[in-house]
Amino acid sequence: MLNSIRAALPVVLFVVGASHPYTAIAQTDYYNTDTGRPLQIEDAYAVERRAFEIQAAPLRLERARSGVYNWGIEPELAFGILPRTQVEVGFPLAYIDAGVSGRTYGLAGIEMSVLHNLNVETSIPALAIVASTLLPAGGLGPDDAHASLKGIATKTFSWMRFHVNAEYTFGSLADQLPGEADASSGVAEQSRWMGGIAVDRTFPLRSMLVGGEVYARDPLREDEELEWNTGVGIRYQLTPRFNIDGGVGGRLTGDDRGWYATFGSAYAFGLPWSGR
Amino acid sequence: MTRRTSRFAFRAALRAGAMTFSLVAAVGSSAGAQWSTTYEQFYLEAKHNWTFRDSYQAADRLFNAFDYGHAILYEKLWTRPGAPTSVLEEEQYNFLTKKVLVRPPRLPLEEAAIEVRYAQLAPEAKQMFDWAHILHRQIYDVLADERLSQDAKDREVQRLIAYYKSRPELAFSSKPKSMELMQEQPYSLAFREKYPKFNGLIWGYHWLQVGLYEPLMVGKTSSERQTGVRATVARFWQMLDDPPRTLPYQMPMTAAVAPMFTDRYTEAAIIFDNLHSMHDVISDILANPDVPRERKRAEIMRAARLYRDDTSYIMPVAAWRTMAQEMGIENMGGPAVGFLPALPTPTVTRGAVMEHDDQTGKMVGMKTGQMTGAMNHAGMAGMGAGRDSMATMPGMAGMDHSKMSMDSSMMASMTAMHMRMLADSGMRRHMLADTALRRLMREMLPMMPAEHRASLEQMLRDTMSTPARATRRPAPARRAATKPAAKAPAQTAPKADPHAGHAMPPATPAKPPAKPATRTPPPATDPHAGMKMPPKPAPSR
Repeated sequence: MLNSIRAALPVVLFVVGASHPYTAIAQTDYYNTDTGRPLQIEDAYAVERRAFEIQAAPLRLERARSGVYNWGIEPELAFGILPRTQVEVGFPLAYIDAGVSGRTYGLAGIEMSVLHNLNVETSIPALAIVASTLLPAGGLGPDDAHASLKGIATKTFSWMRFHVNAEYTFGSLADQLPGEADASSGVAEQSRWMGGIAVDRTFPLRSMLVGGEVYARDPLREDEELEWNTGVGIRYQLTPRFNIDGGVGGRLTGDDRGWYATFGSAYAFGLPWSGR
Repeated sequence: MTRRTSRFAFRAALRAGAMTFSLVAAVGSSAGAQWSTTYEQFYLEAKHNWTFRDSYQAADRLFNAFDYGHAILYEKLWTRPGAPTSVLEEEQYNFLTKKVLVRPPRLPLEEAAIEVRYAQLAPEAKQMFDWAHILHRQIYDVLADERLSQDAKDREVQRLIAYYKSRPELAFSSKPKSMELMQEQPYSLAFREKYPKFNGLIWGYHWLQVGLYEPLMVGKTSSERQTGVRATVARFWQMLDDPPRTLPYQMPMTAAVAPMFTDRYTEAAIIFDNLHSMHDVISDILANPDVPRERKRAEIMRAARLYRDDTSYIMPVAAWRTMAQEMGIENMGGPAVGFLPALPTPTVTRGAVMEHDDQTGKMVGMKTGQMTGAMNHAGMAGMGAGRDSMATMPGMAGMDHSKMSMDSSMMASMTAMHMRMLADSGMRRHMLADTALRRLMREMLPMMPAEHRASLEQMLRDTMSTPARATRRPAPARRAATKPAAKAPAQTAPKADPHAGHAMPPATPAKPPAKPATRTPPPATDPHAGMKMPPKPAPSR
């Protein structure tokens, strides 16, 4: 365990340093949730047009039942390129500590995505579609690019807000990931299907959001069990530009049962010129 | 559950989810009016961003609290239409003034999380407010930035206005709109009449929101600006001392409350007046039970369109400035700088509706409410035309007038008193201008001795045939084209005229025909169709 902590120290230091507001990293606006921050299930809204959101230090620590620790951070940059449309690029970095089996770390691919919000919520829920791809890059990345398509719906009630996500990944790659142990434990885990629901409650006078989720994912590898996951999290706006989030959760079924904790921060800024 | 079964169930659930998603999307597309694609845009990035928040924390936090007040108002009006008045006038008012304003939020609020259902009803209108509030706040930042010279501030404000106007689908017009758009629509006045205290609070908010520009402009040094802002904020608190008496009686107009700001940034001042005016309009639409629920969104959308365009209900800038002065700064909460310790005494009844000449801005009459005597009426031509003083009189509890009787000596004394009063032509004119007094006079005529009756009738005829010393200018052809067909007979049928057959002259001149070309084409159908509007008095111009 001591070795694990020692090995993880550089990652932690990087994360802490990167999460400082002046480093301008992370995703903004506590009300606009994003995958993994802190919940996996996100809302149907894009970042504001002309806004940049930098997620500097979304840290995730997982501990599997086997005792393997996985550290991951995924710096991301999102830009509201068009009305209700954002493009996002992420660089997932993973550090896997399998104890006596060894340690490995590296870039787990490059994620690129486009989220388009179809409508704002009226009596009809807000809907969005996301197209994303995980490009083959880094020692822990896949050998081939994999594309995914996701549908999102958000429905708000006075007392609660609900989000439903459903995602499908094309292609098959089970044995294309480098190393069997790594394949299912990096931050860029791939699943054939993912679907779930999240619920959150807003405390507007405190600029705070508290939520929970349940989702299932069917790993790309045919021989792996269907996984049911659950989690809770909180998002909190610290300043008009800067917010933080944190969450904990667990993998209830599947081959890799365990728990996780996550912490992140986001920073937002806009384009300095007027344009149209 | 076996792995195979669970996968099967999971996939079936996902397929069902996908089908539901597609179905909702398809239904949404066909639903038309309910499919909204408005969107948010980031504020203009600049070095002065959030300067006001950093330098004037207390004032900035109050604005956050104001956001809550606006949002909860719309949410309650929309979601609890039949709720007792006390929900807003007591519960929410007390929560706002004793909790939220006392400990205001440290950050701008996510209003969609407060006005959840209202935001779903009219997301486009919400976006209009959000976009204008961003302009509001960014101008505070510029004026609060001690690093900027006056020239630089001027440039930055112009840049902000240009950025604001780059979204015409959200931007309020920078042409002044007449008060008719706010106060003389079929749904108008519902909110202020039902919720006078909350309405006064909203006007208090608006007073501070425009008024706070003034100490930032007037102060010559950072210290003066700090002191000035503190004083103006303290003045706002003073308005909450004895509500609704101490709250504004009229919508605060930027030109009156913040004249220096208006002189320098006229376009911004006009935008803010239009913004605050539409705030009131939406309150009226939501509060007025005669607007059916299924028509609320359409009415809000219509009002939003009229506040965005540059053609309907517009008036010259000079007239807008004059109108602001004529409405009376003392009725709007008073000036934002250089004020006396005591709040000014309003000169009109709360929520009074003045009529103004759209070309000059001069006040030409009172549509609702009345002057309270603290004002010089001499210059107000046609003042009082068509007003009904009885409408604003409190009921006389316990009195049954039908059972009252007068002996002959008393009747004689009353008649003598009336005759002496009516011998004065000014008094006669005043009485004739008041529909209630006119009605009472007509009712008394049969009870009078014949000789007095004849004499009185002659005097009244003479008065009516003599033009008033100063008469109202006939209103120019205005907005006939864009004016809602709300003045259609079914909705605007005048009240049963108590003077029918008495050959009374019209209270005000009839409106001349509309001037074509200067207005947008008339709507093909009644924009208020479906609204159950009570009959309104005939328009006085």
